[in-house]
Amino acid sequence: MPIVKLYANLRKLAGTKELIVTESTIGAVLNELVKQNPPLGDVILENGKLRQHIVITLNGHNAVDLNVEVNEQDIVAIFPPIAGG
Amino acid sequence: MAGWSEKVLDIDLNNKTYRTYPLDMEISRLFIGGRGLGARLLWDMVGPEVDALAPENVLIFTNGPLTATGYQTSNRFSVTTKSPLTGTVLDANSGGFWGMQFKKAGYDVMIVRGKSEKPVWIEIKNDVIAFHDASELWGMRVFALTEKLGQNNNKRNVLCIGPAGENLSRIASIMNDRERALARGGPGAVMGSKNLKAIVVEGKDRTEINDPEQFKFLLYETRKLLAASPLTSQALPEFGTVVLMNIMNNIGALATRNHQQTQFEGAEAISGEELTEKYLVKNSSCWACPIGCTRISKTDKAEGEGPEFESTWAFGAQCGIDDLPAIIEANMLCNDLGLDTISAGSTIACAMEMSENGYLDSDLRFGRADQLAPTLEAIAHRKDVGADLADGSLRLGTKYGHPELSMSAKGMEMPAYDPRGMQGQGLLYATSNRGGCHMRGNMVGPEVLGLPKLIDRFQVQGKSSFVTLHQNSSAAIDSLVICKFTNMGVADEYFARVLSAVTGIQYDTGEMIRVGERVWNLERMYNLREGFTSKDDTLPPRLLNDAPTDGPSKGWVVKLEPMLKEYYRGRGWDENGVPTPKKLADLGLAGL
Amino acid sequence: MIDPRIYETFCEIGRDLFESNMISSHGGNLSVRLGDRVVIKRRGAQLGRLKPHDLIETRLDKNDSGVALASTELLVHRTIYMNTPALAICHCHPRTAVAFSLSRDEYVPIDNEASYLLKRIPVVTEEFPSGTPQMANKVAEALKNYKIILLRGHGSFATGQTLDEAFHWSSTLEESCQIELAVKAINEPFIEYRKMSESYNKF
Repeated sequence: MPIVKLYANLRKLAGTKELIVTESTIGAVLNELVKQNPPLGDVILENGKLRQHIVITLNGHNAVDLNVEVNEQDIVAIFPPIAGG
Repeated sequence: MAGWSEKVLDIDLNNKTYRTYPLDMEISRLFIGGRGLGARLLWDMVGPEVDALAPENVLIFTNGPLTATGYQTSNRFSVTTKSPLTGTVLDANSGGFWGMQFKKAGYDVMIVRGKSEKPVWIEIKNDVIAFHDASELWGMRVFALTEKLGQNNNKRNVLCIGPAGENLSRIASIMNDRERALARGGPGAVMGSKNLKAIVVEGKDRTEINDPEQFKFLLYETRKLLAASPLTSQALPEFGTVVLMNIMNNIGALATRNHQQTQFEGAEAISGEELTEKYLVKNSSCWACPIGCTRISKTDKAEGEGPEFESTWAFGAQCGIDDLPAIIEANMLCNDLGLDTISAGSTIACAMEMSENGYLDSDLRFGRADQLAPTLEAIAHRKDVGADLADGSLRLGTKYGHPELSMSAKGMEMPAYDPRGMQGQGLLYATSNRGGCHMRGNMVGPEVLGLPKLIDRFQVQGKSSFVTLHQNSSAAIDSLVICKFTNMGVADEYFARVLSAVTGIQYDTGEMIRVGERVWNLERMYNLREGFTSKDDTLPPRLLNDAPTDGPSKGWVVKLEPMLKEYYRGRGWDENGVPTPKKLADLGLAGL
Repeated sequence: MIDPRIYETFCEIGRDLFESNMISSHGGNLSVRLGDRVVIKRRGAQLGRLKPHDLIETRLDKNDSGVALASTELLVHRTIYMNTPALAICHCHPRTAVAFSLSRDEYVPIDNEASYLLKRIPVVTEEFPSGTPQMANKVAEALKNYKIILLRGHGSFATGQTLDEAFHWSSTLEESCQIELAVKAINEPFIEYRKMSESYNKF
């Protein structure tokens, strides 16, 4: 089953660092995530679309297209807007 | 003229005398202040015949017209000198409160020349400049000294060196306000070579603002923008810069064990999330800053400022260490000894790899958190193995026959971002005028975080345009002088307008970034005059030839050659990376 | 050889421009700067239906692509790149914005998004608003200080680090103008909701 890893303040909002999901595309995974943890929805989505500066990676590669497939061993990581030097 | 104090304080340590004179406003219009002004003055003062640790080298402290105006983050200041670590032009930049007070004392520039016969410290109270004997203070560590000399954040500010600078460690920093650092490139050693222990300032002046109405509007807009950006209003205050640890690891661009890998299995254990959960006391900020990215951390053994992402990485992933309390303590120790954390950590990592391979006779090994503190003490006091490490990883590697194990560019240790996972960052390290540094055009914004928009970090064609723009923009911001984190919520065009509102001189956005381009080209000319060539625009062989064998960056090396070719052409330089006469004339640098 | 990722971005933004009514079938243009070279749409191509051969690459300081093929607006793009820090340019014909450019010397948004992001959009005017050095210089000069400007009766020029960014400003401007148009139609007294708004037109 694919795993979703959460970072920074997303952990507090979801109450966990990682979850297992069943859905098959990134977009569907996000929807499943938000349905399970509504507080995440406010931070990640705006009117159903991905908020600016949310970074999603699929096995370490930036995932911009929400239709990309997510497979068995995949890890989806979600970072809220973060910054540093 | 508004903004600038228009006064230079010129100090001669040979005779313990000083003079003041007007600032050249022609030069200031073109270079503004901070890094730009410092570079221009250094060009005139220190040539290739001068050794960085000789009395003929100078320390040039500079403010900018925005300093102490109260604009957000208008607290930063620069020091410019020839670097004892790299031999290039060096500017180092720090926050806190000292820069603000130095401006209130009535000066834009302070030049420190020569060498005092005996240890000395300088006290500046506007027009009253006093030289004090520092024989009793020599040997003191930064925290104790700062307190002894009467540090009060808003009223009286101490800038000083610790034992590392006194012992001329080429990776020694100058510290201000106890735990802020002019860290990279060894400015602490230059100050130590002059027998100058500290500079304390108190000031009374206010910075004049030409158009207070417009200034007020821009202040309000900036406040709104910083509050609206989740980067500056949530991420940085809550997690600090260490929040980058997990994302850099996730994408396979976190240099590990002296850049042998690009991911660290212990990244979570040394992440911003872990720091916030277990060791954070509260956040803190520099003068006039609403962001508050500073950490105040506490372990069983110590409590103090930091650590930042780079410092945590340098003693963490780079040394294969996942013991966060030990890392926090190592960071504080560097502040107390006056050492650059990035260079110290990466030099220790280099020594670890060399020792594991039998090239260096020491018991340093990756993962040994217990070795951090004693090794740092040894470095600062040039004792035992510390004597070999005190001058950075390149001199260490060269001495024992393996310079290729120094993860440096032009002799300066590179920071956390492994460029095999970020092509643009690789070009940045190779071309940065002060050596392997991320703060002179950081590509983490566009290549990782999507600031302002995401670009493909593995794309090579066209990447140099971004690096050039970010280098120019950073140089402009370093000349104002304000904090680059403001740039995360506020676009360059605001800074141009603030500069215009404060000084009364109309700078449009393009012109302000051109100041940055001018500064960049001047610094380049300085290095060329010192004897650097395009051969020095390079990276360690490991990054050019050894691809990571797993992780998201698997199979990638830095494709430096095509990026560098495109970069030189895009900058208007010839194929040897020399600015053409036309380019110099366009920038008003024809006289050089 | 143009990197396929760059071509893909041109296609996406070009399609978005056409589908959001910001250009006619063959109007508008997009370009990016790669070091000392520029990539731009070929003359006569449709931004909404780009093919690989529709993108031309040429030198920054002069056209070495094979003269006839590059857009008539190549000059203004090159001039912008040589005079500003732009890395990408989006030129389109946003209808409502163009309409306002016919009666105003500047457009100062009243809606939240545009006043937050753009503040003020100057209108420049030129007798022959296509392809002349005079027009190119005027547009480039204005873009030194603003990320998007209007050329009276013609369209908008927006700059950014990426085409995405330049498109963002263009789209925001048109949305703002449409809101203002609706406000005019509604024709009721305007309730100011922003602090210090009197300063926006001095930005």
